[in-house]
Amino acid sequence: MNVRTNSDKLVSVSVMGQIASPGFPGLPAEPYRLDASGKPFLLPTYGGIVYNVSIGDSAYGWLADTIHPGVSISLKDDTGNRGLNLFACVGNVAMVMTGDAKGTKGVVTGKSGRFSEQVIIHFDKEARKKMAIGDKINIRSIGVGMDLLDHPDIKLKSCSPDILENLEVTTGSDGKLNVPVVGVVPAHLLGSGAGLTSEGGSLHIQTADKEALKDAKLDGLKLGDVVALMDYDSSWNHGYLRGAIGIGVVGQGDSPRAGHGPGITLLMTSPQTGINPQVTPGVNLKSVFNLAD
Amino acid sequence: MPLATNESQLVEIAVTGNISQPTLRPGGYTLDNHGVGRVLPGMSGVVYNARVGDPAFGWSGDHVEPGVSIANPDNAAEFALHYLTCMGNKAVVTSGMAKGAEGIVTGEHARLLVDFAPEVNDLLCVGDSIQIIACGRGLELTDYPQILLKKCSPELIRGIPFEVISDTKIRVPVTTVLPPRIMGSGAELNSEYVDQDLMSGDRELMAELGIDQMKLGDLVVIPDADHRYGRTYRKGAVTIALCIHGDSVMIGHGPGILTLMTCEESCIEWVIDPKANIANYLNIREMA
Repeated sequence: MNVRTNSDKLVSVSVMGQIASPGFPGLPAEPYRLDASGKPFLLPTYGGIVYNVSIGDSAYGWLADTIHPGVSISLKDDTGNRGLNLFACVGNVAMVMTGDAKGTKGVVTGKSGRFSEQVIIHFDKEARKKMAIGDKINIRSIGVGMDLLDHPDIKLKSCSPDILENLEVTTGSDGKLNVPVVGVVPAHLLGSGAGLTSEGGSLHIQTADKEALKDAKLDGLKLGDVVALMDYDSSWNHGYLRGAIGIGVVGQGDSPRAGHGPGITLLMTSPQTGINPQVTPGVNLKSVFNLAD
Repeated sequence: MPLATNESQLVEIAVTGNISQPTLRPGGYTLDNHGVGRVLPGMSGVVYNARVGDPAFGWSGDHVEPGVSIANPDNAAEFALHYLTCMGNKAVVTSGMAKGAEGIVTGEHARLLVDFAPEVNDLLCVGDSIQIIACGRGLELTDYPQILLKKCSPELIRGIPFEVISDTKIRVPVTTVLPPRIMGSGAELNSEYVDQDLMSGDRELMAELGIDQMKLGDLVVIPDADHRYGRTYRKGAVTIALCIHGDSVMIGHGPGILTLMTCEESCIEWVIDPKANIANYLNIREMA
């Protein structure tokens, strides 16, 4: 690793979830949600086994609302699910423990859900075909508690030692942490997730204004892309602060809803401009972890 | 000048709630912007010393809700209370020592916020029933169909001194301009439900823009914010909103901003007026 951490002191502990079913409110509630212009839509959304959308694919253009690539898991027990959601880190290894895909390994790629209750895992497409909703998936969690010893202003969130190592971060001559990113998100394009926890769930790029999205060069993002969040402090929640910088991964796809769009799973944050994002094409979890299709 | 509305077609309907006891999460601590654990009052109950017209900033509290907070224990009835109540609606105490006293709805947060005179507050008890004569859902500005109204009572629309600019534009007095980049918690909700906090964590910016002088009950403008069907950034859109609750110590939170009027294109202009507060427009109290 290019940066010094306390990763030799981290504890690795199991957290388990089951493949989550997509969910909708019960009858007689109507299933429609409204897009940013008030038009009702009914589309696939959070949860389930998503067979044909993967890390590395476009974050835009799917007929879906904040779709999770790959497989989404949660645990019905609320406190247990909180443990799963807090301890699972991007880059952690997951293994299918029951069902026909038993023994298959995957990688945690994001966190989200309608109430920030799901963890998103990449498995190759063949493995997905063998899985069933309810299959148990165990994650060897490691990462919570990790610090960058030479960057005390930076807090790591949902960040595994593996992703830190493979992202090729370095300490610059100015003492800041250089992080390669695909894009830089200005604060006015960050929406849903503000004021909510930065230890799980997602902070959304808001995409109702397509021109503004294009101006910010964010209209070509892929699922799994690493991005920087400008003027946002995510130390204890996500919120506006000039000079603060966050780094996250695009964990889920675009949304027609106001205030929503590709959801970002936070990896690190500095309230003091201690991160230097370096725009580099192709920084994506697919190549970072050599994920199989 | 008064704007034409469809007020005569509106239905008046009763919804009810009970005065809420303040609640705290287990552990009690709320982390502030610097990660320090704080235990602070603010939400729910009868807040005796914060009222519309008072400062939104500076309280040693979190999300201070002025006046009286009410909720309904039945889930469906609670949503009706939220979705049907409009700002400026009349409220009546229907049980307890203050029975018969009248108040005015001044906000919608986790609970509905009602202003009563201080001598009425003295007689209120947690649990007392308060009924609201809900009216305003369906209200439209007949000559300005591009402008959507949210939770405006006819009284509020009559009370605001609008100026007609053209066939497609009106001007609204506001105390404060909020840049869209500081709009935070609440972006995840639909814009028919509660408020969106402005993010006050950048304290220097609050002072630079004068936002820290905002008062509870102030009318404010958010340029480039489209709140028609949810709350989102959209260049050229305009949203007029109401400051309903006080500042917060939490990252991504701050005073609560409730949508009143919104348009996708620039149909609303604004003029800065320090008196743009519902305390004046609804004759709630004399402001200092």
